[in-house]
Amino acid sequence: MGSNAPLDEKSPTPVAGPRRHPQLDQLKRTWYFLRKNTLAMVGLSIILIFVVVALASFGYPAPGAKMTLYCGTYPTPANNCAQVCTYAPPSPAPPGTCYAVSALQKSLVPPTISFSPLSLGPLPLGSLAPDPSTGLFYNIADGLIKGAPWSLGISVSIVGSGALIGLLLGAIAGLKGGYFDEAVMRFTDIFLSIPGLLLVLVLLAVLSASLGNSLSFLGRIAILVGAFVVTWWPFYTRIVRGQVLVTREQSYVEAARASGASNSRLLLKHIIPNSMYPVFVQMSLDVGTVPLLLGVIIFLGFPIWPSSPFPEWGTISALSVQNIENLVLVCAGVQGATCYFPWWQILFPGLTVFLFAISVNFLSDGIRDALDPRLRR
Amino acid sequence: MRMWVYIARRVLLLVPVLLGVMTITFILISAIPTQQRLVSAFGSPKYGTGEWIACPGGGPVLCKNPWWTHGIHTLGLDQPVPVQWAKYMYNTFTLNWGYTSSNSYLAQAGVPGGTPITQILSWYMPYTLELAALSLFLTLILSIPVGNRAAVYRNRPFDQGARLLSFSGFALPAFLLASVALLGFVILSGGFITICGGHATPLDLWYGLPPSLPGYACPPYSGSAPHWVGSFSETYPTHFITVDALINGQPLIALDSIRRLVLPALTIAYGSVAGLLRFVRNSMLEVMNLDYIRTARAKGVPEAVVISKHAGRNSLNVTVTVLGLTFAFFITGFPVTELIFNLRGIGLLFTWSILQPYDFGTIFGTTIVFSVIVVLANIIVDIIYAYLDPRVRLG
Repeated sequence: MGSNAPLDEKSPTPVAGPRRHPQLDQLKRTWYFLRKNTLAMVGLSIILIFVVVALASFGYPAPGAKMTLYCGTYPTPANNCAQVCTYAPPSPAPPGTCYAVSALQKSLVPPTISFSPLSLGPLPLGSLAPDPSTGLFYNIADGLIKGAPWSLGISVSIVGSGALIGLLLGAIAGLKGGYFDEAVMRFTDIFLSIPGLLLVLVLLAVLSASLGNSLSFLGRIAILVGAFVVTWWPFYTRIVRGQVLVTREQSYVEAARASGASNSRLLLKHIIPNSMYPVFVQMSLDVGTVPLLLGVIIFLGFPIWPSSPFPEWGTISALSVQNIENLVLVCAGVQGATCYFPWWQILFPGLTVFLFAISVNFLSDGIRDALDPRLRR
Repeated sequence: MRMWVYIARRVLLLVPVLLGVMTITFILISAIPTQQRLVSAFGSPKYGTGEWIACPGGGPVLCKNPWWTHGIHTLGLDQPVPVQWAKYMYNTFTLNWGYTSSNSYLAQAGVPGGTPITQILSWYMPYTLELAALSLFLTLILSIPVGNRAAVYRNRPFDQGARLLSFSGFALPAFLLASVALLGFVILSGGFITICGGHATPLDLWYGLPPSLPGYACPPYSGSAPHWVGSFSETYPTHFITVDALINGQPLIALDSIRRLVLPALTIAYGSVAGLLRFVRNSMLEVMNLDYIRTARAKGVPEAVVISKHAGRNSLNVTVTVLGLTFAFFITGFPVTELIFNLRGIGLLFTWSILQPYDFGTIFGTTIVFSVIVVLANIIVDIIYAYLDPRVRLG
């Protein structure tokens, strides 16, 4: 225990020398162990890259006007023209434009994997303009870049607010104990027994039914964040409360209480800072799952954005998967057709979501290992 | 404490949680605008859905919409909120959950409107339970042995590989995984040999379904309600396809039904192995450092026996406790998987009911059912844990 300098209680004046910061020391120690964990470092660097991309994306001009429509039709066995688009055009195709395209025609699915101008193939990503018929389009690369601040921002705000509520409620419940504790914990039990994603969807359905289309752009995002926070605060409350039950028995808390610290001081100065680490681990885990869940919501067909194609990582992956599924399944029903599989349309959005989720996973695992002396060896 | 006392106490604790869940659904239902509730329940009349409409005789004064008055009275919305709440709770507990809406996305998808929601759920439930049982089985047989091995070979390639694989199941979106698995089958087979094949399988024939089309997930029922819609009959006494087939002495049909569930169950299991594997590995690591393991080794017990008998058995106790939490996570994967693989379970029912125009009755019905499943799973897990670890029930 070299870092804890013994207090020299006999000397009337403070001991000379640099002032000790036990929390800073703890942070340094954690960082030391974290640095030795290769996977955690890989995770941390990927996250940093994403953050840099998100910051840089504000200065990135998305070339909206350059996109052309890639759309064609396959003849179906019933001799009906089934439209197969690599993405939905901004407005429905005018009647009579349904023309048969040879299934062998390769240009139906444009070969757009070239890294030089960062074009990874088309995907409809409408602008933030409320009118989708203005039809500004991004391609996948642009969408992923433009989506970085949205994905990161929404994830962090959801997890941050959920953790804040959980931190306060859990800390007070753990410190006070008694009926308040019991009430809070039974309340979290109720929320925890409704599967998370379902609760989010039900909340969104009810809120969108009652608030309807009268919402502004930011209002919709706020509702989305709110629905997730309602679902997630109980997890944090439970974690924090469990941790506070351990922390409040520590001798330094007892010492602080004996020297007359008020409850709020105990909470803010001693208990919350020392119960933070498990919350931090859980937060870093949860941040990665937000884009996954948003993608699931979009995939199920629930509209959460003001304009249906929206630059957010999960949304982009969901839309691309849907597009490709339609493309391949329709094509597979055509006798003798050669089907193209525009794999890059799911590879790159999927990879982005995957890398984000997995890197926060690695990081949170690393932090946990660094904090737990039993796992350090 | 005796075991049955413990179980009784645990079951009693279920009551407040269920009351709470129902109260939350009640609050949410009350938050829906009255007009939308009335339209969902009774459809839109010719003369408009507003509370006030132009009088039949004309004139500047507005008249109260009779449709509105009647609807409010039928739904009991003219009563005080506590009375509404009490009635809602009573109806929910007596399984009187209302009827499906005839003008909703659900009705457009083929689920008959005006059917009692409990009846609809009882049609769709068995398939979900079969899927859940199979995927839970796959999750367990994948995560427990692999987690144990990973702890034994800590930080060696096996451990790293297992963790990477399980992480990737966690970090990949469920829809991407399921779609790629499905498309992989379609593409690899050139579009002709799908999971179901391009011909009628025994299951199709038994139920009188059209043959599975190539290029689609099975089973591509033309209608959207399960074909056994109607009452329980002698041929289909349970609605569990596999069980029904076995009762009728048709093992081939039972196998066919399980075969259709394998790919969906594998995708669900792949997504949920990560969480469990991590716990198995960590609890195994902790147990491996305990004194009695060292003692066992010192007295010359073979290493394989130490791992499987001494450490494995004890690390399992901790694993059981997280099973309940895993289950809650695991069940949220059902809507997506059932949608992609076109399985007629309550996940698909939920997915359809949250699409506009909403079917609120089904939304809340499925929510309550899912919550009850989670709560029951937690209780079962607790009981198993108490059985495994006497300290819990005695302490």
